[in-house]
Amino acid sequence: MSIVLEHKTGTKRNFLTAIKEAIREEMALNPDMVCMGEDIGLLGGAFGVTEGLLAEFGRARVIDAPISEALIAGAATGMALNGKTVMMELQFIDFISCGFDQIVNTMATFSYRTAGEVNLPIVMRGPAGAYGGGALYHSQMNEAWFCNSPGLKVLCPSTPYDAKGLLRSALRDGNPVLIYEIKELYRKRDIEQELPDDYTVPIGKAVVRREGADLTLVSYGQNVYHCLEAAEVLAKEGSSVEVIDLRSLVPLDMDAIRASIAKTGRVVVVNEAPMTCGFAGEVVARISTDCFELLDAPPLRVTRLDTPVPWAKTLETYVLPNTEKVVAAARKVLEF
Amino acid sequence: MTPPSHGAAAVQKRIEKTGDQALPRQALTPADNQELLRQLYLARYFDVRLIKEKKRGRLRGTLYSSHNQEAIIVGSLFGLEPTDWISPIHRDMPAFFLKDARRGWRNPERNGMSIEEVCSQVWCKATSPGRARDNWSHIGSKTKRIIHSTSMLAGTIPVACGVAYADRLNGGNAVVLTYNGEGSTAQGVFHESINFASVHKLPVITIVENNQWAYGTPVELGSPSPDIADRAKGYNIPGLIADGQDVLDVYDKVMAAVARARAGLGPSIVECKTFRAYGHGDHDDDRAAKYRPEEEVERGRSRDPIAVFKRWLVEHNQMSADEAQRFSPEGLSASEVTDDDFPPEVVQYLKEGIEFAIQAPVPPAEEGSRWVFAEGPR
Repeated sequence: MSIVLEHKTGTKRNFLTAIKEAIREEMALNPDMVCMGEDIGLLGGAFGVTEGLLAEFGRARVIDAPISEALIAGAATGMALNGKTVMMELQFIDFISCGFDQIVNTMATFSYRTAGEVNLPIVMRGPAGAYGGGALYHSQMNEAWFCNSPGLKVLCPSTPYDAKGLLRSALRDGNPVLIYEIKELYRKRDIEQELPDDYTVPIGKAVVRREGADLTLVSYGQNVYHCLEAAEVLAKEGSSVEVIDLRSLVPLDMDAIRASIAKTGRVVVVNEAPMTCGFAGEVVARISTDCFELLDAPPLRVTRLDTPVPWAKTLETYVLPNTEKVVAAARKVLEF
Repeated sequence: MTPPSHGAAAVQKRIEKTGDQALPRQALTPADNQELLRQLYLARYFDVRLIKEKKRGRLRGTLYSSHNQEAIIVGSLFGLEPTDWISPIHRDMPAFFLKDARRGWRNPERNGMSIEEVCSQVWCKATSPGRARDNWSHIGSKTKRIIHSTSMLAGTIPVACGVAYADRLNGGNAVVLTYNGEGSTAQGVFHESINFASVHKLPVITIVENNQWAYGTPVELGSPSPDIADRAKGYNIPGLIADGQDVLDVYDKVMAAVARARAGLGPSIVECKTFRAYGHGDHDDDRAAKYRPEEEVERGRSRDPIAVFKRWLVEHNQMSADEAQRFSPEGLSASEVTDDDFPPEVVQYLKEGIEFAIQAPVPPAEEGSRWVFAEGPR
């Protein structure tokens, strides 16, 4: 089997292409890997992430599934139980709710309830996130449901480098991993990167995107870019802001968060999911516990309002976090 | 208000007896038939014994009796190959130790669980296949090819589809049997899975134990047809109906489905008509006596699978009338039978399992936080 890394050195790749390469390279490396999802074969995926896979690897390993998310998740579990590595695409992460029971009760618990007899190498991935006019059912960030379901690793990359490196790690991890791919980043030109030929990014490690001394902004996904913009605004006001990109929600890199707060003593956590029981709230709670003696001000969070994501631009902007809302929260914490 | 009823006649009408000619049972020897009877006794005795242990307060959780449904478990498993997969659910506990039992109950090579493993699970011991992490029937084994079930009914059918799909990719020729009550056929995932299995002609056989009651809900309120097998038409696959009280009829129908699956022709539904002897679980026995009409229960329990099979053996000169009288637990409730009503080797086999389980260690407390994620080989 030939694995040709076609990308020419020096060529920049967008977020989507990085993911596409990861899947193709892992399919070539691992003859026991199977891809399954709605419209991933003939069509090549709703966003084109799986284009070319069917032609290269054939129908047996690239399965166009019926519109049956529970079946897809359950069959992924069965295939993994019987020796396969499965990449399972959700057409939109919103649709994962249709397969919820199979994911949280059958797949996620398998290692636990069999005392480790069965480990399931499954990666579930799909386009997620708001800001694109997708409205209620094509905008969700429902990661909190799954972070609250023991047995799943949950990732949310924000750069092409991480998207590819984390996906490759996930496909070799041996546990069910759920990856939120921010679809607004798929073809975003100004985040394109040159990628090395062969690399992975470790699961469970956050990364510092900007160094600072006065305040820490903790985020993931596209809100990382709001935080970077907010840091620019605050820099002009004389505040030095550090930005941490979690990349991995479960497991959570508390060491990285603690190291940053040890410097800054102040923190704001940002995510685009709704506030109540959202992951930002969990991070704030963990900071309150693990960084108890390091804090100079109460930690705050910036989240979506407790609403679905509405369609009209005015409404969508109103409910979602943005740079201005992050700046406002940061000022409050800085001035405490 | 009485619930709508499809009627007892409807329940029986679709059981198609085709006589003895050219049926899979023709390949069974008299010794095989004696083993079938022994397995029926064993399944019944396991149930009886656990009911007694439960009543004495020695067991945790809920016991879902398989009483009166043993012919489905025994008859469906008997013709399988060791490499085949099964997925029993709550009312199928005997299936764990009856899988591949034809190769010897104590044969360590067989692809089924030992009685020690199953009793360890019932007694919540560390020697259980799942180290007593989930309860009762929620055990399985990758190597012995038993899919681990959950409490979500019909939930193992999609997993069975994946197992079957992977087996085909692996170059295998296994079939996968899932066990389900008629109540679970109302689940969406039942449809999603059988639809997919049929599209890909997967060797997945869905056994439906239609015992007429889904907890407190009669089949009339869960299915528009008294025959769950009718649903097969929508998937363009065979829907067979077996007399769930007749171990040979179950064997014949399941083996027909197995032959079809192994030939690459795809899945089948095999509905086995039966009747739930007691409540949904042991906690429900008293209430079940109130929500189920007494005459329906009497009628439903009137064809004990042990009696039905003994009658066949006598009629076919494979057992004398005297022999048939020797061990007669049929028609009796757990409280009405003693060990003397069962063959001694059956009593002895379970005794070994129970004694092993009682002296086995409990799982250490700190295991409670382990294995949320993979930890490498156990």
